[in-house]
Amino acid sequence: MIKTQNLTKAFQTEDIETLALNEVNFEVKKGEFVAIMGPSGCGKSTLLNIIGLLDNPTGGDYFFDGTNVAKFRESQRTNLRKGNIGFVFQSFNLIDELNVFENVELPLLYLKYGSKERKKMVNDVLEKMSIAHRAKHFPQQLSGGQQQRVAISRAVVANPGLILADEPTGNLDSKNGLDVMNLLSELNREGTTIVMVTHSMHDAGFAHRIINLFDGQIVTEVSNLL
Amino acid sequence: MINHFLTGIYRNILKNKASSFLNLINLILGFGTFILFASLVSYEFNYDTFNTNFDNIYRVQTKQEDSYPTNYCTYSPSALRYHLLADLPEVEKVLLMREISGNQGSGQFFTLPDGGQLYEKLGYWCENSIFDIFTIGIKEGTTANALTEPNTIVITEKLANKLFPKGGAVGKQVVMGKRFPLTVTAVIADFPVNSELEPSYLISMSTFETLSGSKGFRDNWTAISNDNFILLKKGANPKLVDAKIKDAFKDIKDFEKSTPYLHPLSKMHLSPNSQPDYYIILSMLSLAAVLMLVLSCINYVNLSLANSTQRACEIGIKKVVGFSKKGIAVQFLGETMLFTFVSMILGIVAAIVAFPVLNNILDKHMDFTVFFQGHLILIVVLTSMFAGILSGIYPALILSSYNPIRVLKGKLFNDRGKTFSTKKILITAQFAISLFMLIVSLIMNNHLQFILNKELGFDNKNILFAEMNVKDNVSFETVKNRLLQHPEIADVSMSSTMPFNGNIGGYVTWEGAMPDQKEMISRNYVNYDFIPTYNLKMAYGRNFSPEYPSDNQNCIINETALKAFGWTDPIGKQVILYGKPYPVVGVVKDFHAFSVHNPIPNYIMFLNNNILIGSKMVTIRVTPGNGQKAKQLVTSELESVMPNEPFEIKDFNVILYTENAYQLWKAFEKLFLIFAIVSLIVSSIGLFGLMVFTIKRRTKEIGIRKVMGSSVTNIYQQLSLEVFALLGSAILIACPAAVLIYKVMPGTYKEPLSITVFIVGVLLIAVISQLTISYHVLKAAIRNPVETLRYE
Repeated sequence: MIKTQNLTKAFQTEDIETLALNEVNFEVKKGEFVAIMGPSGCGKSTLLNIIGLLDNPTGGDYFFDGTNVAKFRESQRTNLRKGNIGFVFQSFNLIDELNVFENVELPLLYLKYGSKERKKMVNDVLEKMSIAHRAKHFPQQLSGGQQQRVAISRAVVANPGLILADEPTGNLDSKNGLDVMNLLSELNREGTTIVMVTHSMHDAGFAHRIINLFDGQIVTEVSNLL
Repeated sequence: MINHFLTGIYRNILKNKASSFLNLINLILGFGTFILFASLVSYEFNYDTFNTNFDNIYRVQTKQEDSYPTNYCTYSPSALRYHLLADLPEVEKVLLMREISGNQGSGQFFTLPDGGQLYEKLGYWCENSIFDIFTIGIKEGTTANALTEPNTIVITEKLANKLFPKGGAVGKQVVMGKRFPLTVTAVIADFPVNSELEPSYLISMSTFETLSGSKGFRDNWTAISNDNFILLKKGANPKLVDAKIKDAFKDIKDFEKSTPYLHPLSKMHLSPNSQPDYYIILSMLSLAAVLMLVLSCINYVNLSLANSTQRACEIGIKKVVGFSKKGIAVQFLGETMLFTFVSMILGIVAAIVAFPVLNNILDKHMDFTVFFQGHLILIVVLTSMFAGILSGIYPALILSSYNPIRVLKGKLFNDRGKTFSTKKILITAQFAISLFMLIVSLIMNNHLQFILNKELGFDNKNILFAEMNVKDNVSFETVKNRLLQHPEIADVSMSSTMPFNGNIGGYVTWEGAMPDQKEMISRNYVNYDFIPTYNLKMAYGRNFSPEYPSDNQNCIINETALKAFGWTDPIGKQVILYGKPYPVVGVVKDFHAFSVHNPIPNYIMFLNNNILIGSKMVTIRVTPGNGQKAKQLVTSELESVMPNEPFEIKDFNVILYTENAYQLWKAFEKLFLIFAIVSLIVSSIGLFGLMVFTIKRRTKEIGIRKVMGSSVTNIYQQLSLEVFALLGSAILIACPAAVLIYKVMPGTYKEPLSITVFIVGVLLIAVISQLTISYHVLKAAIRNPVETLRYE
């Protein structure tokens, strides 16, 4: 599903060029659950952003479902992202002015689903995530765990093939963190490919494979046999 | 502490140079406009206040209820002064004045030292009591008996300098109208610019009695053509005087429905005819000035709030280290008040700079010292403090109530999807005010164009005229024949009055009228050539003609009179004036006898005897393009026929375009245009602030939406639509308000309100707001979401 070849990302700041990713080669197959680990500043989030088509690499190739998207324009990336990739962030990134239902509905709006269909899809996913009773609440009225559930609901509502999670449990206590990881695992079992950036060994334990990054390069790649 | 406070303000200004600059411009424009127009309004309201007896001076005017609409005439009869006012115990002094003129035209000619003729428009036949009632400075001579004896004249310093450039005017003689010598008894100071009364010469009333030879002048109740002023004793009740004089006309035939009443000096300038028109205009200007200030204060609040996010950290830390909520609120309030105070000072400077422009537009000679007189400066200072508090209180309360933990975590706003926030109300108000100002100025502009282009009903082009006051009679036929020899001259006529210049009133009844039915009319004594000279069109019947010798017993009416009389077949029907019947031989199509702001009167023309004597208007129609040459020809011909009569040949358009109402509207339209432009600039600044604010607080939302698949266009559309939704609410407020202004706007004839002004106004605001927001929205929308979310 995902394949990178010599993927490079350099940031130019004044006179200094910083290599965030340095010729990264890796592959994620359909249905896999991959965790990316590494110390702060090693390039995890940059890699996730490129995989999520939020950013372009400065060098190398990136094949998404067999298409090289490394040089896609923003509008092309946006179109490809819609409906194919769901995002879960550490800080949830819900829109404060929208209630739970409206937040989850957001990706469907841009996919131009009809109103009835949207309503059904959102209600279904909220039921599934056990957050339907909070549909009319605003993000500030929810606990961190509930907010992340909403964020996951939003990520999966359009049934994307790939979910990218950037430290999804970083802002949660251990109980809520465990709930979120169970949800992600369940989604994976149902066939969704998941790539997750994490600092937590515990969370990484839910993945099939762990990729360790250091200074923009893959240093180890370990299959999780559990 | 103060040091810390001031340093903080200084650094904040430096840190946000662009927005501080915008904010300053915004407030300077707001204050500058407010101060400028407050000065104008104050100037207008303080007319005549230099008179020490200001509160006790009244003019006795005449209310004529048998005219439709009720006429409030500024004049009253001379008999009122001699037979009623002088005997009232409440009255300290009485003053009878009469404008110097023939019956209609005004002014007189004086002989200059070089023999030339100087035309001075404003003069009065006047009693000596003028010096007891009004505050008039004396420059030369004494006022004790200056206007008591016949053939005495008092002149202003300005006129004295023209007539006696070497000085020493008192005791010398001036010659009026080439033949009447008058002795100068005193030279008075020029009247202040804010004096309603501003004659350049006063001639004793006893001279008028001698010169006019009008017997029974002191007993005349029907010539309502004098200014009667009274000075009430201190504490006297004007209502009591009103009650005592109201029945003065009870026994005067045809004047039974006229009532004299006291009109205070304080209303003489703004409402001479007891009409509210000028008050309405000043109220509209005041409203516009206040709205401008409100608009800039709203902007200030918006811009302050937009910047407040940057100061969140400062607030959070201050709170953590122990600043109270009150302390922070006071700090912010102090900042805004200092800022508005400085802006006010700069606003005053801006107003001083713009003052000559205002004077130019209004054709006034206001001195900016008007601003420093009375309470105006105090009002402005208080307003600035009030604006400071008003603009500061909202940001101060909002900022000081930030939860320090949330603030330090960068979570400033907690709107929970409120759709009716204070912010939205402020923005809507801002849009509404700008749109309102813009539409009203468009309405004013349309109205002015309407007045300018209104069909007058007569041909006003290529017309010259002279106001004559002839002592030695001349046959007009002689004058006419001499003038018509020249190919440059197409038509010549003689009449008592002419359109836009002069009026002879009177009451008539008519064939078929009910016994108590009568109508006020405007009459004109014309010769055979009047109708063709002005190209008036006949609706029925014919013009006067030498072929009908009985025409000197006939009359011609206009369509308005025809309607008033209710005739269907007017020819041969009779109009009765002072008991004498005049059969109608023709009906002219309506034309504007007075300014286009006044209703077309019932108009009746009678045939004159074609002798040029007394007060007459001579109208000359010239062939196109020959105005200047014709003017010289007419001047030399008239001078050779009447060497002893002073006159001046004028262009008709001079009276058309110098007419007061026209001037006022033109000035008014320009003022509103200035308001509209300034309000657009201020609004754009406000919108800019709004967008900075919106984008800042929605950076995260825009990022999330982009991640969820929204395109740049989607985001641009969404943010623009939100602004347009507010504009929509503003339209609902501004349009009805503008309609209301149109309805109260003075003027007898108004162009029907056109939908175009609303469409143009809304489009203009929409385009300007779109341009203003585009930069910000696009900048935010094309930003990589990775950055925005990382920032969050």
